[in-house]
Amino acid sequence: MTMSEEILRVENLHVSVDGTPILNGMDLLVNRGEIHVIMGRNGAGKSTLASVIMGHPAYEITQGNIHYMGTNLEEMDVFERARAGMFLSFQYPAVIPGVKVGTFLKKSVQAVREEEVKGREFRKEVNEAMASLEMQKSVLNRYVNDGFSGGEKKRLEILQMLLLKPHLALLDETDSGLDIDALRIVSKGINTVAPNAGCLIITHYQRLLDHVKPHFVHVMIDGAIVQSGGPELALKLESEGYEWLDAPKEA
Amino acid sequence: MKYADLAVPSRALHLWRYTPWARIHPSSVESVPDATPVRFSLIEGGAALVDGAPRIVDGDDIARVFLSELGSSATTVQTDGSTGVVHLQAVASGHVAVGHLHLEFNHDTAVVLHLSGEADWTGLHVTGAVAPNTRGAFGLINELSSNGKLLHCEDWAVERDAFLELAGLSIGGFRCKSDIRTRFHNTGGRLNQAISVHGAGQRHVDHHVEIHHDVAHTDSSLHVHAACDDQSHAIATGLLSIAENANHCDAGQVFKNLLLSEKARAEAIPELEVLADEVAAAHGAASAPVDPNQLHYLMSRGLDEESAVALLIEGFMQDGFSTLENEALVDEMRTRLTVHLECELKR
Repeated sequence: MTMSEEILRVENLHVSVDGTPILNGMDLLVNRGEIHVIMGRNGAGKSTLASVIMGHPAYEITQGNIHYMGTNLEEMDVFERARAGMFLSFQYPAVIPGVKVGTFLKKSVQAVREEEVKGREFRKEVNEAMASLEMQKSVLNRYVNDGFSGGEKKRLEILQMLLLKPHLALLDETDSGLDIDALRIVSKGINTVAPNAGCLIITHYQRLLDHVKPHFVHVMIDGAIVQSGGPELALKLESEGYEWLDAPKEA
Repeated sequence: MKYADLAVPSRALHLWRYTPWARIHPSSVESVPDATPVRFSLIEGGAALVDGAPRIVDGDDIARVFLSELGSSATTVQTDGSTGVVHLQAVASGHVAVGHLHLEFNHDTAVVLHLSGEADWTGLHVTGAVAPNTRGAFGLINELSSNGKLLHCEDWAVERDAFLELAGLSIGGFRCKSDIRTRFHNTGGRLNQAISVHGAGQRHVDHHVEIHHDVAHTDSSLHVHAACDDQSHAIATGLLSIAENANHCDAGQVFKNLLLSEKARAEAIPELEVLADEVAAAHGAASAPVDPNQLHYLMSRGLDEESAVALLIEGFMQDGFSTLENEALVDEMRTRLTVHLECELKR
């Protein structure tokens, strides 16, 4: 039996935004090769967890800590986290007019790999990744997410993930707004990266899990995990909702 | 009208509010100093430069009268249509330099003028006309030395069914005042105009753009993007005028400013004078610092803050040219902008 390689460890994490507590004692352990899914109602704190792991400056850690591959993340800037192999697929990726996708991808890959990428080799790599996601090459000449449909934005996020080859992939509602074909293609991208990374997927829907098989499913309520289980938990949530997990109300 | 007969314009006037005449004049306002001619030359492309040009002086406009009295020499560009783009160089030297360039677009052509030099003060008057059913494009890249002043006027006439594209990239000079006016002479004309400004140090860049729809069925679009850092100051005032009975015109003006430091300033003042009833006329202005979500997104992809901001500045300024259709013109403006920012932002 081999030791699991720890990628992400969240311990007793409390997070606030403008003084309002969002996460209230979150614990989570993600090892390499594991796919974790977090489900929960709107406002439960799922996206906050992804954002705070990635270092969004709007969030303040008031208690607890986050370890990534053995390093406490507190002192790491956002770009350092990316260079260390962390990747967040945004629920709402930023639109950046004037910056072409091709330019952006090259700069990003160069920054994360911390080396110049060679033109021909990089083009080949990009072309292969785009082909696997059934993306048109013309996307490279468009501005980042400018005028993109919801599906195009999510595919571009997955394309970046394929090129950056992260150790930790955080996917924040990457399946939202995707049609059946796009969901299949995006899932294929996730499955390509997942075996060599720790994966944390935030979703509202079981349908993604028809394509991406999770090892663990967690339910968040009020900023903490209240239930964990296997894929069967997602099926139960799909059929029964979250009410059965609510604390009984006092009469 | 002679310069000596003109009164110094009041700062109450829209045109002179932010850059008073005394601040852009090369010496004391009552004088007309000796000037060295700006040297125009052809870098590449199908065109010939010939001496002389029609004098186009707008009655009592002090800047145009002054430029006219400063220098009597002028150069006309005669394009032959053999190449899609013509590159010209204008070099300003000496204490005061002045030049008048005239362009007649009788073929579908783009002309890019690279303005450079060490003159303390440069005056440039560009005049031109686009012949009926012709597509003309003109780009001015201001690469003057960083301590020079520039007074720059342009006057354009757009004929029936003609299409004019104007691009301006302002990256040189210490204090610059531009006054660019376009007038539609007949129906069916179109104007696409885009200006990108990079303000750094204590640069002061003032653009005044007038577009006159004197006839019906003419369209115009103006986009001004200014990225201001340090203690720079960018000003853009636009006058969009649609004459009585000039119905079915479609005109829009957008001014955007990216403020990169607390001491940088930007003014964006669109002005509409619409006297016709059946027109579409719109304007908008926005000034904002770097969007924290855009910055976070780029940094989450491994770019450090300096590189991420540099990329956002470049994107913002490049986006200013997005509405232009002439690819050769856009490529040239964008390439020069990228080179400038790579040097300026030390990436």
